[in-house]
Amino acid sequence: MSWAAHDLEPYAIQRHWHWRLAFVPLLIGSYAPDLMTKWYVYGVHIGGTELKADNPAQFHRGWPGFGFTHSFIYGAVICLIFWKVLGSKNWGISFMIGQWAHALTDACDTLGTMLLFPWTYHFHIDAWAYAGQTGRMTDAAAYFSGLGGMWDLVWIVYGFLSWQVLTRGYFEQNVFTADGFWRLAKRALPMTALLILYRAAFFYGTSRWIAWTIWAHVIHHFPYDLSWGGPDWVPAEHP
Amino acid sequence: MKRLPSRQQLVTLAGYAAAAAVYIAIGVAYTDFLLSVFVATAYLLIVMWVVPLAVRRLL
Repeated sequence: MSWAAHDLEPYAIQRHWHWRLAFVPLLIGSYAPDLMTKWYVYGVHIGGTELKADNPAQFHRGWPGFGFTHSFIYGAVICLIFWKVLGSKNWGISFMIGQWAHALTDACDTLGTMLLFPWTYHFHIDAWAYAGQTGRMTDAAAYFSGLGGMWDLVWIVYGFLSWQVLTRGYFEQNVFTADGFWRLAKRALPMTALLILYRAAFFYGTSRWIAWTIWAHVIHHFPYDLSWGGPDWVPAEHP
Repeated sequence: MKRLPSRQQLVTLAGYAAAAAVYIAIGVAYTDFLLSVFVATAYLLIVMWVVPLAVRRLL
């Protein structure tokens, strides 16, 4: 799985797409596959009881399970709902592109994603270890010690090199005008606050990448292993 | 597109960098703070909009 990439990819995608995508559904789509499931993959303690999937990898990426959320057809179905039921083609397509980006990015780990669900084959290129089954902290340590963390860093660097997409001018000319959501939001909030909302995911992705890296390597001294499929000190899940 | 940011844009960047430094410091100490984009968004709105607005009204 990926951490900060899902926060950062939408900024690059909306810059390079040949028509103006709606940023909000693009971002929601980028988060969507994990939105309901991540807490149950890692587990939570409520009143002394631990709620956690018996087989986190199967629950998260498999079938039976919620692995279909990481497939192309899931994005396409939600797209059609936005388009044909709710009447917004741009929201539908923007959501689908964000969701597809998430599914493709997660296919880079060792567990992979069922991109062509209902075909349950897991597409995976094994660049970094899937370690969600080990719990949130070990997963974070492993992710930010391997190529997954480096992939996030690519998006951070790319974002700073494309700093113009974070400016007020770009937001007002390209993002605000592409989506009626922002005009509605402007009834309640000034442009300054909307601009902060637009930048928030980039802020979040970049800041937490730095924070988790410090936590893993300065506070806890987990070893880096940038080998393909690493780090080798964590038990990686495979299909 | 412009190739270099203006002075005003650099000042804005400095504000975000300061906000990020505090967010990262809290997050390293209490990692639960890093888990939600909604928390981060609320934090950013408070630090970059609500607080400056309140200060301007007080002055």
